Amino acid sequence: MKSRITAAAIAVVSVAALASCSSAAGQPTSPDGGFQPSDVRIVVPFAAGGGSDTSGRAIASALEDTTGATITVENREGGSGAVGYSYFLSQEGNGNYLLASETALLALPLTTEVDFDYTTFTPIMKLGDDYTLMVVPADSEFETCTDVVDAARSDGVVAAVSGAVSLDEVVFTLIEQDQDVEFDRVPFEGGSEVIAGLLGGQVEVGSLNPSEVLGQLESGDLRALCALSDERYQYEELADIPTAIEQGIDVSFAQFRGFIAPGGITDEAREYWIAAAKEFAESDAYTTYIEENLMQANAVYADEFVDYLEQNSADLEAVVGK
Amino acid sequence: MIDNLILGFQTALTLENVLWCFVGVLLGTVIGLLPGLGSTTGVAVLLPITFTLEPVTALIMLAGIYYGAQYGGTITSVLISTPGEAASVVTTLDGYQMATRGRAGAALAISAIGSFIAAIISLALLIALAPPLADVALQFGPVEMFAIMILGLVIVVTFQGGAFVRGAMMAVAGLLVATVGISPGTSEERFTFGNINLLSGIPFVEVMIGLFALGEVLYQIRMGAAKPIRARFKDMVITRKDVTSSMPAILRGSGIGFGLGILPGAGSTLASFMAYGIERRVSRNRAQFGKGAIEGVASPESANNAAANANFVPTLALGIPGGATTAVLLGAFTIFGLQPGPLLFETQPDLVWGLLVSFFIGNVLLLVLNLPLAPVFAQMLRIPYGYLYPIIMLTSLVGAYSVSNNMFSVWLVFVFGLLGYLLKEFDLPSAPFVLGLVLGPLFEKSLVQTSAIGQGDLTVVFRSPIALTVFALAVAAVVLPKVVAMLRSRRRRTKVDAS
Repeated sequence: MKSRITAAAIAVVSVAALASCSSAAGQPTSPDGGFQPSDVRIVVPFAAGGGSDTSGRAIASALEDTTGATITVENREGGSGAVGYSYFLSQEGNGNYLLASETALLALPLTTEVDFDYTTFTPIMKLGDDYTLMVVPADSEFETCTDVVDAARSDGVVAAVSGAVSLDEVVFTLIEQDQDVEFDRVPFEGGSEVIAGLLGGQVEVGSLNPSEVLGQLESGDLRALCALSDERYQYEELADIPTAIEQGIDVSFAQFRGFIAPGGITDEAREYWIAAAKEFAESDAYTTYIEENLMQANAVYADEFVDYLEQNSADLEAVVGK
Repeated sequence: MIDNLILGFQTALTLENVLWCFVGVLLGTVIGLLPGLGSTTGVAVLLPITFTLEPVTALIMLAGIYYGAQYGGTITSVLISTPGEAASVVTTLDGYQMATRGRAGAALAISAIGSFIAAIISLALLIALAPPLADVALQFGPVEMFAIMILGLVIVVTFQGGAFVRGAMMAVAGLLVATVGISPGTSEERFTFGNINLLSGIPFVEVMIGLFALGEVLYQIRMGAAKPIRARFKDMVITRKDVTSSMPAILRGSGIGFGLGILPGAGSTLASFMAYGIERRVSRNRAQFGKGAIEGVASPESANNAAANANFVPTLALGIPGGATTAVLLGAFTIFGLQPGPLLFETQPDLVWGLLVSFFIGNVLLLVLNLPLAPVFAQMLRIPYGYLYPIIMLTSLVGAYSVSNNMFSVWLVFVFGLLGYLLKEFDLPSAPFVLGLVLGPLFEKSLVQTSAIGQGDLTVVFRSPIALTVFALAVAAVVLPKVVAMLRSRRRRTKVDAS
């Protein structure tokens, strides 16, 4: 009983303290009256060492430089990202939390019962797009993506996919819808397993991010037939790869990488992060990150990012919602 | 070849690299020792602190954590029947029995010696043959892996000897528990009851902590007034006879471990179980297995170390991780701006050879570290249980929480701790359960992939000569002991008739 009274007393006092604080100065402020971050956490909903982790760490160190705040990376993996995003949900209104986001933000609400979708959070910045290349073993008979589609129409083609809502699954489904063919799918877990399957001859084609497969392309063990992107890659190593569109297959789909803030944060905090993000996009760190991961630089912010998510989510729904 | 080795030694033998290698193996030993903190978590957690180092130095240290953990995982398996790593689960069977007989020091020493010999053998093979071996590994697609999984389960189920039904029951229970979470292949949720913590399945680290650490503590409390093991110093030190009688087990364990380790995905857990299962059949001392046979410690410990090193074959030669920890290490490569893949040997020779040579150095360091410390660690058993058990419980629960910074893990440990206690009470083996849980997702994935490749026609498994051979071994593992037993009894009978 006594402890309950104490607790109540503490609560009253702290509420009063908070109230007096807010009447005096509002939110934690910087000298010019805006939002000032402190002890920032960036959640990575996947394990250390993966693609999300790399982008999370790049974002963290770049934002540290532009804002001067300390930014710590927190890996909260599990459930294909669901655990990390759901944890992020509990940080609603906290302007000191960010999350290194990718396509799981859109795929999870469409396929699994989770309590969030992209509208629950505050999208800040899309860093760029990661498209895929259609790759085959070096000794494959296929020369173009059209060959693959033709073979799928006549004899059937065994395609590797790295999960039921993965980027490559989406790409293959879009090709199927565009060309009215069907691939025989073998599900793998992740890009490196797909590469092993291709090298071992257990599957015929795969669709992989350039950064996953560059090692094998350069060594000549795998060949890229086409890029499933709107335009050809600018990178020297990839510039010779024609797009699927050039080969008469009207398909292009990218995984995005970016970062988001929790829902319900103040306008000041939102504006603050958008400004920091824009500064990040101008920095060398941004260019290095995009180039090292062979992505296409395509930064958009805030509302434009939301528009992108809306469009992308609709595309995804058309694929996985069948 | 010689040039490459010289280059490797030049890279690895700088003061800085040897120092960080030592830091790595030391941290690895500690990480392997702590329940919950496996090598995968250890490498992932410590990855950020290496960002300021040179890439070679960072990778030398991270790899040191990885194989150091294989040594450390043994210590608690032997002393308190609590494996620090899934790959050390099977070591508890004979290791803990040895400890209760006062021979903990010998068990730890033979595990260090076996691990060292296995490491040297597998490193020699790795250095000489990595690229061609990687090509062999690629021949093991889904169909072949499916066969390997079957063989693994069969060997584990049958190694309990007379307790075949109990072993099979527990392995199947493990497989069933492994179905919780998002299914491989179709990505549908199963048995998650809307709980997001269950989406990625029941994590085996927590299960292991519960079954072994908490289960053992509960069981000992129930037994009541257990006395600390009295160990004479004479028994603590390993004898020449221990080493010579373990040599065949170490060599066989190394071979099995290396063979399975080069296959992407099979990993050191399966290797340690398989090596133990086979040793239990072929060892001269097989009658003593399960009662504290030193070969029962030597063989799985050699196997898991050989597998850990062999895992680098696909990792370095192809850029395809062989297991969970090497996957994190590959991630580290990209963070350091290195492109993993078949060209790594050519584009980064100093890094690759420096790393490989550092394995030698690291394993020598581990042997020097572990051999004299074995009797010292064994003294831990003199701590009265009244103090030891609360410490075990505390480290277990903190370990479980640290896996994912999530209270859910702690509740899981309690649930499986209770299960572990009940299993001991009813004399059901928990090792096959763990293997079922570890192999479950791999087994299901390869089954789904095999059926996709065969387009629903399961005869696809008979078209692969490798798979057929492995299946034949699995059948032999079940049938041969029965046939041998039958022949023996018939011969005896004919002898009796004749006389």
